[in-house]
Amino acid sequence: MMKMTRRAALVGASVLATASMTTLTTTAFAADPIKVWTHGGKADGERGQLKTMIEAWNAANPAMPAVLEEQPEGAYNDQVQAAAASGSLPDLLDFDGPNYANYAWSGFIQPLDGLVSKEALADMIPSLIAQGTYAPDGKIYGLGMGDSGLALWSRKSLLEKAGVRIPKGVDDAWTMAEFEDALAKLQKVEGITHALDVKLNYGQGEWYTYGFSPIVQSFGGDLIDRTTWKAEGAINGKAAVEAMTHFQSWITAGYVVPKADGDDSFYGKKTSAISFVGHWMWGAHSKALGDDLILVPMPNWGGKHVTGNGGWCWGISKTSTQAENAGKLLNFLLSTKNVATLMNSAGGVPGVKSAAAEVALYKEGGPLNLYLAQLNAGMGYPRPAHPAYPTITASFAKAVADIVDGKPVQDSLNVAAKAIDQNISDNKGYPPFGKM
Amino acid sequence: MNNNRTAWTMLLPAIGMVTLFIVVPFLMSVYFSFTDQRLLVNPNVPTEFIGGRNYLRLFEDGAFQNAFFRTATFAILVVPLQSAMGLAAAMLINSKLPMRNAFRTIYFLPTVISMVVVAVIWSSLYQTEGFFNSAVGALSFGTVPPIDWLNNEYLAMPSLVLLSCWQGFPFQMIIYLAGLQGINKETYEAAQCEGATRWQEFVHVTMPGLRNTHILVGMTTTIFAMKLFTQVQLLTQGGPRDVTDTMVRLIYMTGFKRGEVGKGAAASVIFFILVLVISYIQRKLVKEDRAIS
Repeated sequence: MMKMTRRAALVGASVLATASMTTLTTTAFAADPIKVWTHGGKADGERGQLKTMIEAWNAANPAMPAVLEEQPEGAYNDQVQAAAASGSLPDLLDFDGPNYANYAWSGFIQPLDGLVSKEALADMIPSLIAQGTYAPDGKIYGLGMGDSGLALWSRKSLLEKAGVRIPKGVDDAWTMAEFEDALAKLQKVEGITHALDVKLNYGQGEWYTYGFSPIVQSFGGDLIDRTTWKAEGAINGKAAVEAMTHFQSWITAGYVVPKADGDDSFYGKKTSAISFVGHWMWGAHSKALGDDLILVPMPNWGGKHVTGNGGWCWGISKTSTQAENAGKLLNFLLSTKNVATLMNSAGGVPGVKSAAAEVALYKEGGPLNLYLAQLNAGMGYPRPAHPAYPTITASFAKAVADIVDGKPVQDSLNVAAKAIDQNISDNKGYPPFGKM
Repeated sequence: MNNNRTAWTMLLPAIGMVTLFIVVPFLMSVYFSFTDQRLLVNPNVPTEFIGGRNYLRLFEDGAFQNAFFRTATFAILVVPLQSAMGLAAAMLINSKLPMRNAFRTIYFLPTVISMVVVAVIWSSLYQTEGFFNSAVGALSFGTVPPIDWLNNEYLAMPSLVLLSCWQGFPFQMIIYLAGLQGINKETYEAAQCEGATRWQEFVHVTMPGLRNTHILVGMTTTIFAMKLFTQVQLLTQGGPRDVTDTMVRLIYMTGFKRGEVGKGAAASVIFFILVLVISYIQRKLVKEDRAIS
């Protein structure tokens, strides 16, 4: 998940305590409770909602109670790895999008097909199915209650002043030429020092991959070829180089807010005109800009119209002794009501289609409905679910940082391609990947 | 012999700790550096011996050489500047100023503050509308446009050097203060009788009197400088264009971000040897004066 908040899971213990008390009172002779792990660091509202849902589940299903345990976010991945090594994984656990590939490959988690009902699967938005589908067997290993949204934020008054066409929806999104023309026009508007903010201040990290790989994919490139699982030719191919050359030209032209300008050039200082960032900035943006704030669809940069997506999702451990019950609990969490409740407080894109109408931000006509429209149009292009993902994302982020600093695009991407392919061959191709 | 036994007993806890937390991990690093050990051990690909591949890979793409060169640059800039700042501050607070204890405390504060906090504070000083740009703007009457200090290929390293010196100099100051107080007062009196100026006093009495202190400060500061990581990771992440990439950051990125513990271990073994060699050369070049021979 791209969330930047990180809080200690102080209430983890109390959640556990309350949950186990509930368990004690509601289960007389039941077997072990369904153990549920979730990552800490969520907003207070979201955390409370999940707890309430588990309590509701326990009240309705005294025969298969669940216990919710919160683990600190900073070391969540390590916790899961350690638990897997000692065979003490919980039954149901959540994990950050692309990480699940490594879990599935290592045999920590099992396919959800058959455990989650067909109705629930059919209700999922396509981008989440795409994210959770593990390439080697085509089965689904992770399902999220929500997704993330990526498009452009701007100010209506500015676009009008600069004479830039405002797209009505996904279908008439800007092309690359239109986008670059808009940048040139907005750069001239009084008070604007940089037309575009791409959040360089987030620093070299997951944001660089999440935010900028869709540009590469739009041109037909990718971080890694998704059938041969080779980076060479994909991440440094012609399409990728073309995409990143455009990206570098925005920097060279002086359109892009430098890192040193901090986070608030768009919504605070109001010195930038377009903010390229995800749905999590809705709060800050809407508070500062009110009705003038406008969400512009992700441009169709290079011919293939794509957007970033992905976030935390749920999976069931392979060692679970009650996978079926865990599946039922997951069904319950993915119900319209629960998804709507959680997304109303968390602000993410509702992960099931039926919940959209009940989430104020995302319902038809809602200010963030565009994100849902993008994902429903099949634009979501999940980050590669491959066990080498940590290396893939670190290498691409490094390449982006170098490109921002003016290093030749081809050279930067070549370094990334080599690092990724080397990691894959060092791991003997991560069988069965590469043999399909 | 009884004496000897007591000595060993008292040494035991220290030796135990050093062995457990320094010697054993180092030996494990040496071992790991010849394997393809992963951060996340995985049943599908067991760890194997791969001979010297990690070492060969390190030198293959130039990243390691670059990191060494940048770290060395940092050390060469930081050691003289930080030592000079430490010495100057030590001489100031060694004089008989009123409230000198208060000054000692104030000067020591930066070192007490965590580097993470210092880096975050300085990052705002280096911002487009931060202190340094305001200062440059005011001094140049607004003719110099704002500078992106940490993102400029030529200024990023000096900016980090300045920050690091400010954070680190009180440590050198304390050592120099002890050194200054160890200089025999009579030598100053003799110099004054001979009619030496303050400058001559500094060059011919203070500096030679601090010889051993200089050596200690030089060596410890060099070793500290070689370990540069926190500031870089927080402020520049090795950029722009790798000019602030350092050896420790390289080790961290390889071992923890990419999960290639074997390669990271190989880098740390070489790093250890390099630091050892540098310290050894320093020691050979400047011989300590032994008061008791």
